[in-house]
Amino acid sequence: MSIWDFFRRPRPDKKKEKHVEPEVEVAEPAQQIPPIPGGQTRPLPPLEESRPMPARLKYGQATDVGMERSGNQDALLTLSGIIESADSPPPFGMFVVADGMGGHTDGERASFVAATTLARHVTNLVYLPMLAEQELSSDQPTIPEVLEEAMQEADRRVKARVPEGGTTLTAAIIYRNLLYIAHVGDSRAYLINDGNMELITRDHSLARRLQEIGHLTPDEAEAYPQKNVLYRAIGQGDMLEDVDRATRRLLPGSQLLLCSDGLWGVVNDQAILKIIEETADVQEACDRLIAAANQAGGPDNITAVLVQMPL
Amino acid sequence: MAYDETRYIQEPEDPSQSQQPLATSYEGTLQPELVLRGRYRIQGVLGVGGMGAVYQARDLNFPEVTKLCAVKEMINLANDPAMRETTIRNFQREANILATLNHPAIPEIFDFFSEGNRAYLVLEFIRGKDLEALMNIADGFLPVEQVRQWAIEICDVLGYLHSRQPEPVVFRDMKPSNVMIDQFKKIRLIDFGIAKTFDVTKGHTMIGTEGYSPPEQYRGEVSPQSDIYALGASLHHVLTRRDPRLEPPFSFENRPISLFNPDVPEAFAEIVNRALAYEPQERFAAIDEMKVALEALGSGGVRPGLSQVISPDGAGISERLSMAAGEVLAVWQFQVEDEIRSTPFVEKGVVYIGAYDNNLWALDAKEGSLVWKYPTEGGIASDPTVEAGYVFVGSEDRILYAVDARSGRVQWTYITNGRIYTSPCVALGHVFFGSDDHNLYAVKAANGRLNWTFEAQSPIRSSPFVSDEMLYFGTETGDFYGLAPDGEMVWRFKARRAISSSPTVNEGLVYFGSNDWNVYALDGENGFTVWRFRAQRPVYSSPAYSNGKIYVGSVDGHLYALDALNGREIWKYKTEDQITSSPLVYMGVVYVGSIDKYLYALNAETGDLLWRFGTEGPIVSSPAADDGLVYIGSTDNRLYALKA
Repeated sequence: MSIWDFFRRPRPDKKKEKHVEPEVEVAEPAQQIPPIPGGQTRPLPPLEESRPMPARLKYGQATDVGMERSGNQDALLTLSGIIESADSPPPFGMFVVADGMGGHTDGERASFVAATTLARHVTNLVYLPMLAEQELSSDQPTIPEVLEEAMQEADRRVKARVPEGGTTLTAAIIYRNLLYIAHVGDSRAYLINDGNMELITRDHSLARRLQEIGHLTPDEAEAYPQKNVLYRAIGQGDMLEDVDRATRRLLPGSQLLLCSDGLWGVVNDQAILKIIEETADVQEACDRLIAAANQAGGPDNITAVLVQMPL
Repeated sequence: MAYDETRYIQEPEDPSQSQQPLATSYEGTLQPELVLRGRYRIQGVLGVGGMGAVYQARDLNFPEVTKLCAVKEMINLANDPAMRETTIRNFQREANILATLNHPAIPEIFDFFSEGNRAYLVLEFIRGKDLEALMNIADGFLPVEQVRQWAIEICDVLGYLHSRQPEPVVFRDMKPSNVMIDQFKKIRLIDFGIAKTFDVTKGHTMIGTEGYSPPEQYRGEVSPQSDIYALGASLHHVLTRRDPRLEPPFSFENRPISLFNPDVPEAFAEIVNRALAYEPQERFAAIDEMKVALEALGSGGVRPGLSQVISPDGAGISERLSMAAGEVLAVWQFQVEDEIRSTPFVEKGVVYIGAYDNNLWALDAKEGSLVWKYPTEGGIASDPTVEAGYVFVGSEDRILYAVDARSGRVQWTYITNGRIYTSPCVALGHVFFGSDDHNLYAVKAANGRLNWTFEAQSPIRSSPFVSDEMLYFGTETGDFYGLAPDGEMVWRFKARRAISSSPTVNEGLVYFGSNDWNVYALDGENGFTVWRFRAQRPVYSSPAYSNGKIYVGSVDGHLYALDALNGREIWKYKTEDQITSSPLVYMGVVYVGSIDKYLYALNAETGDLLWRFGTEGPIVSSPAADDGLVYIGSTDNRLYALKA
């Protein structure tokens, strides 16, 4: 093996040394997984033990109308690009959650328009150039720059298409071992690592702001009657200023959870973490999170995306 | 400033009779010519409020003159009977309050009546513009002294309201658009409507954040202190031109007034800040106190151009310096025969430095006495590196030298075809260096035998950096390479201008600057740009990493501290001239030299100046540090050793 090979392949030799029996527990065939609107990815049958697991992003996604609403105004979009070849770029993933607001169908249209506009912008400016093996140069915008523009573009389109609507918008892009987040509203992104759950976004809600300046305790913020009041959202307000952005390094095995307030607003952080840690399969974990929210009353639409970095 | 009354609508030429039918339940805005109550002829809309429009109307009871009035309309759209009740009561409250008030800043109320589901307040017509409109029209800041005067008048009228018996009247809606400036340049408080009920619907509501409301108002607590906060918020907006409705709520402290408008005296800003305290009891106890404080400022303190604040980016610091400069003395200095343009290297008590006098010098690190010197045939711009007892350095004479560190005797040389300005990097048993002949060389450290060369497309003046079995360097055409240890190209990144800056690597990210004004952070494994930061001029300086931050200087004179993972500016410090050299972080202090002849020592976390040391020539080289001493060479031909 030459030094050249060392750089190109995803180091399968190392994997062989560390390989143990796969810990993935797949649901038994007899267990019914409730059908989810829009279809779902079903877990694959268990792999042969002797074959090494390729380094691959895994993710699960689920959205549910909840117990009290008549329609689902959340939108969820995921795109994962994994090319397996000797010459491949690292895996690429894009995950978006949007929670719409507004009367009639404004909420669901707003969240849909926002999520798809952002995704299209990112696909055109980041993913397609990657696939085209475009030459690396300073002419290309960076992922954070593309995300910022995509947010602005989503804001413009929602204002044009759904004038009375608004939506939260939380987008995550994973490329190699880096996570890029852009965020407006009160949907959330959590980073889970080694038993720690870190909230990496900030809620753009009045209640949170009051809490930050010490005018509400965390419990009071929970009980605050107008806790859904946002001071920043896509499609609302004059200009979209100050999109929150964050970059994080992802360690092997770490997980990213994106969710709307229909989840975090009714299921507390410890309970969420417990479900995630106890469930080996990411899709099943998402389903269980939805179920937990529904069990707690399901007052709002519930959306969750859980992404797991390869080990 | 001219106060044109665009709010004043011209009356049409033929002001005759034709009584229109009375409005009973009209949809939408009243049209011109409509007459209300047989007395008020609508002329046009002055503005639209939360509950209906405000019209300009003519009072027909005075047929021979044009007596104007403002007619404020309130439409009761509530379906819920309880809401209807509340709304009606709110209308009446406003009318009643206005009817009993008597203050020059409060418009007189002339009439109040209802028709169908609408109610109307007939008010004194005010010719002028509100503060929000004035800000929109103005190009820059409104005169600070004028703002102070208005603030005093507002305090006066609010004080009047707060002292009403039997119950104080809290205005509750203090904001620039509710303060009109009339034709006499006096303030008038408008819009006493208070109905602000939150719609407690399920799910999200978007609040066009009030921006001026105090935090406790969201808990339903309203007191005279609320008006004080709102006045503070309005003044903050006017003085900084930053609309609080576009910012996160209660975030005024993130936007200090002096940062935006240096003409505002510190004392004035302090009054505004106190009014903006989160806790009501920490604001002024009464609005009269605030008024007294504003009056005490006097017009003298408000002279424009008088900047009493030290701006955060470092200008105006000469007083602190003259105190500090006296404390910083060189421990020793050594004079060579020409400029020092390269960075010293300290190893085992000896500091090695190259100079434009063609010599490689070895000096005692503590005393500054000469140990040896080695003459090359060309100026040395390259930084020496010491490894395994050899000092490696390149020279303008095209040769890379390996000199014994102790004796100064040359061990081997490698001759290239171009001048060498880069500093060699020693790793993996090899010396890597670039030359103006476009090649990157990998030469065995022990004996100078060539292992391989890599041909780039232009001179290489960026010193290579080896990390994790990858070699990184830039070229004068803006190419940046990631090579494998055997010289194979793994990836290449193209910038549009030269990369003379040498890269530094930390946790998988490669950092470097370019003449295209950007600082780049690339993924070391594949060359993908993770972030880039744009300075205001080219970046020749090589970045330094420490504690989650990247430090880098620019020709724009600033030293920047950026977040290593996302490139956001944490702080910046402005020196008095260009920075072309690279900073060094040592023991929590970042050192950088500037063309302004000074070596600066700044707190690495905050960017605060600790001291600066003046040399007699521009500093184009970077410092080195060891054992409590910082070494810096200057183009005044000296190498200085300073206490860290």
